[in-house]
Amino acid sequence: MRLVKAEFRKLLTTNTWWLFALGAVVTWAATFALNALFAHFTLTQAPPTDMSPEDAANLAAVSDQVYQAANLYTSGQFCGLLFVVVLGILMVTNEFHHQTATATFLATPHRTSVISAKLGVASIIGVLFWLITTALDIPATMIFFQTENMSSHLGDSSVQRAILLNGLAYLLWGIFGVGIGVLMRSQIAATVTAVLAYVLGTAIVGFLFTLLSQSLDQPWIKDVQYALPSIASGLMVAGTDLPDQPSYWVGGVILVAWAVVTGAIGTLITRTRDIS
Amino acid sequence: MSDGQIAVSGLTKRYKNLLAVDGLSFTVQSGRVTGFLGPNGAGKTTTLRMLLNLVTPTAGTATIGGSRYADLTDPVRTVGAVLEASAAHRGRTGRNHLRVLCAAAGLPDQRADEVLELVGLTPAAKRKFKGYSLGMRQRLGIAAAMLGDPKVLILDEPANGLDPEGIRWMRGFLQGLAKQGRTVLVSSHLLSEMELLADDIVIIAAGKLVRQGPVGEVLASMSTSAHVRVRTPQAEALTTALAGIPGTAVTPRADGTLLITGVEAPAVGKAALAAGVELHELTPERPDLEGVFLELTAGKAGIR
Repeated sequence: MRLVKAEFRKLLTTNTWWLFALGAVVTWAATFALNALFAHFTLTQAPPTDMSPEDAANLAAVSDQVYQAANLYTSGQFCGLLFVVVLGILMVTNEFHHQTATATFLATPHRTSVISAKLGVASIIGVLFWLITTALDIPATMIFFQTENMSSHLGDSSVQRAILLNGLAYLLWGIFGVGIGVLMRSQIAATVTAVLAYVLGTAIVGFLFTLLSQSLDQPWIKDVQYALPSIASGLMVAGTDLPDQPSYWVGGVILVAWAVVTGAIGTLITRTRDIS
Repeated sequence: MSDGQIAVSGLTKRYKNLLAVDGLSFTVQSGRVTGFLGPNGAGKTTTLRMLLNLVTPTAGTATIGGSRYADLTDPVRTVGAVLEASAAHRGRTGRNHLRVLCAAAGLPDQRADEVLELVGLTPAAKRKFKGYSLGMRQRLGIAAAMLGDPKVLILDEPANGLDPEGIRWMRGFLQGLAKQGRTVLVSSHLLSEMELLADDIVIIAAGKLVRQGPVGEVLASMSTSAHVRVRTPQAEALTTALAGIPGTAVTPRADGTLLITGVEAPAVGKAALAAGVELHELTPERPDLEGVFLELTAGKAGIR
């Protein structure tokens, strides 16, 4: 418990935490506006007629109110997770960047406890970020559906599931950040790698895998992309399954596996590493 | 406070292609200031870090009061260490830096203010670390080491970056701690400073022990290089008188004195009396620590 208190104190005694929280709120506002705009059109416009059967099936699923509700109630996830993972990275790399690892490990020679405390605090911070965005998402989405004269869908079990699993995603990305921070001690390298992997992993890699799968005519290749944590977490919070995607729980399992593996490897490395 | 002895035995650290510390053994007693001397790159920092469980030894042991650092039940209350001057987050205040450590060690938060007072840093307590001068950073490091009121103090180059006033303060502070019965181990390459500060010295070079013991004894052990300074109006007569003693060499110095080596002062006085030579000054000169040190570590250059 001492160590958890110490880690929280480390976090709260510099400016990083509120800058990141502010960033999460600002990017939340932007993504919610975008999602609301998209939801408005897909829910109210008639679908175009000149589409392939697959696209039509996808659009039908996307036009589902429950799918849109889940998407709106989890708005801000894309950037929110980014802030959480970078915060997790900083919790570790700051120790090396500012050479405070020495003082930290002098106060607590049992390094496993130190990393465990960091993992714990990072996941609590993740959940806090989830609470903030969800506290903004719920009233905002309810207002949206009210103006569209639709049900709020908050009582819908798959919407509730999406909201809760979104919390799990935030928690796991916090853990994930600490793991990355231990693996890459250089603050800049770890942050840049994580941000690039996150953004590219979501946007470009998904596209690349689809392209590769089509050009090689190997449909399974497309499914490999779901092994990437960023795509897996998006999958996990989908309100309804899209026809060409694995089920939501696959995303959850993959994300838990990533968090466990990076957390465990990170702890093992820290135990034997020379601090100089 | 008698159980604060530091014992290093056969300590070895091999990096990929460098033997940084090579079978090093020495002990450090409580109630004394021990200077840990060596040229840059001799393995001082690596040794201290192995002692503190920050670096894993390749072989050998390093214990404090009989236990390895990792096995101490309450490390912060047993050992205080100052390793880097710039070891706090730039955006955090000095006080908050200490409060983080209080939380980790389970100490009451007011200890942070008490140790700030102890090192004279209270006026800068709420200033961010990036605004601290090098001397203030060193004091904050010492404050952090004193949080648990430990009986063993380990400091790596604490005088680095301090102004003369800061160095004098540090000297008094550390000697005061040793007088209270604590163990104080201070590494340095500032030899003249160690001569003023330390009771015992441990000299290493190229990762190996060169000499250890009380400062006076280590200097005395270098008696082969003892010499005597003499001032006399009858230089030639004295030189002739001393020629009878084998191994003696007389060298005139620029300031008009004679430097006589290979013989002790009483023998010089006796020879002068017998020859009726008038002496105005007869001073045995002990080589200073710096001379001893350079002699002992010569040829074991720091860059390996």
